[in-house]
Amino acid sequence: MTTVSIHGLRVSYGSRPVLEELELELGVGVHGLLGPNGAGKTTLMRVLATVLRPDRGEVRLLGRQLSDPAGLRLARRQLGYLPQSFGFYPRFTVREFVEYFAWLKEMPPEAIPLAVDRAIERVGLLDRADDRMKHLSGGMLRRAGIAQAIVNDPKLLLLDEPTAGLDPEQRVEFRALLRQLGLDAVVLVSTHLVEDVVAACARVSLVDKGRLVFTGRPDELIAAGAAGDSGDSPIERGYAAVLRGAREAAR
Amino acid sequence: MTEFHLDARVLAAYADGGLHDADAWSVEAHLDSCASCRAGIVLDEPTARLVEAAAVALGRRLPPPGRARPASAWRRVRVLLTAAPAARGAWLMAVVVAGLTALGGSVGQATLPPWLLLLVAPTLPVVGTALSYGPRTDPLHELVAGTPHGGLRLVLWRTLAVLTATAPVAVLAGAAAGLGTPAVWPLICLALTALTLALGSMIEPATAAGVVLGVWALVVVAPFGAWTLVLGSGPMWWGVTAAAVAVLYVRREQVGRRAA
Repeated sequence: MTTVSIHGLRVSYGSRPVLEELELELGVGVHGLLGPNGAGKTTLMRVLATVLRPDRGEVRLLGRQLSDPAGLRLARRQLGYLPQSFGFYPRFTVREFVEYFAWLKEMPPEAIPLAVDRAIERVGLLDRADDRMKHLSGGMLRRAGIAQAIVNDPKLLLLDEPTAGLDPEQRVEFRALLRQLGLDAVVLVSTHLVEDVVAACARVSLVDKGRLVFTGRPDELIAAGAAGDSGDSPIERGYAAVLRGAREAAR
Repeated sequence: MTEFHLDARVLAAYADGGLHDADAWSVEAHLDSCASCRAGIVLDEPTARLVEAAAVALGRRLPPPGRARPASAWRRVRVLLTAAPAARGAWLMAVVVAGLTALGGSVGQATLPPWLLLLVAPTLPVVGTALSYGPRTDPLHELVAGTPHGGLRLVLWRTLAVLTATAPVAVLAGAAAGLGTPAVWPLICLALTALTLALGSMIEPATAAGVVLGVWALVVVAPFGAWTLVLGSGPMWWGVTAAAVAVLYVRREQVGRRAA
């Protein structure tokens, strides 16, 4: 079942196009979004998070058109979004922070206290739940950010560089959480770390210069690489080969 | 709670393992929700101990209970309001201007030009509102803008907090300056704030506040004495407010959701 579909998406900042004629379909499961810096990954995430309005194109989230205000509101209730960088109110505790977003996502009030606790527990921050945000380390802040994203059990979860700042042990735990979340939700993870994709993603898409250049299973991306391609692991070689192919075709 | 209860013989058969699978499942489904039938199950000594041990083992695997807070309406309002980065700032500014007003009252109107308070007091809520949302001043803007409640509703809550703090100071300033009726001062606050919000749906909120403040300053310090006119025209300010609210309604999807 397709729950996210994008057709002819175009976004530009000023006169510079960032995404062009992008087509993408996503179903339930964990999807990796790969691409070089400046390829448009974050812009795509922001469009799907309903933060950025596209110039052109059709975006359907969970079967609802984003151009329709009522549908937009319903879609937003089922959205979880972790931006690449986000601030915080220093005086908020972790619990208040997550609770605040549970309210903003219009969860039923009686469900909020347990949902907040569960979300904080799932990211392993329960022992720091009543600490102020300003006393947390970078990795803890990111985990608090993940907690607010999953507090409403989103049907569409968007995570932009979620593993940045996590130590290796936390990354392993985080991948396990991702696989769990991907059982019944669309999870889109943008990342620079190709090993995260192999370990946690069922499908992977590759964006370059605002266009989708590959979508398929991780082993298909691995198969695209040959021994002569640059990279230290099979998937890195596949990544390099697909990018090179796309750039040659564009010329 | 249901009125239906299981027969003691059924319970005994269930405890002894004498029921078919399908029947046992139905019994379990009922037991899940019925405390009195659970109490009706009689176990022999070793089985009771086994059940107790299993309960302890399972309980250990559960996450430690956090201190879930009740989501009362009061707590919600408190968190919503204190979350606004400028709510505290607005209070602080209000205190400063209240001090200025007191100073103005004590040194008398001879040394302090009467239009100075008129220039400053009504701009308090404008500055406070502009600081309370938007990509430049709200550190959580990117996250908030994608939530269903994060647009106009949240902005209005924060504006309410700012107005609560600053409008009384405007009344005070009006009384101290002795210009116009005291009622027109908070009305000017309301109109300028509504203008800022309406303009903030089209351009960056901080810029919108700058534009409103600039125009206000021009009106007040204009050499032909426009400020005396301003204080006398209550209906005009109602008109400005109504027009701004109309713009806000039409552009409600954009309020508080402008991308950085």
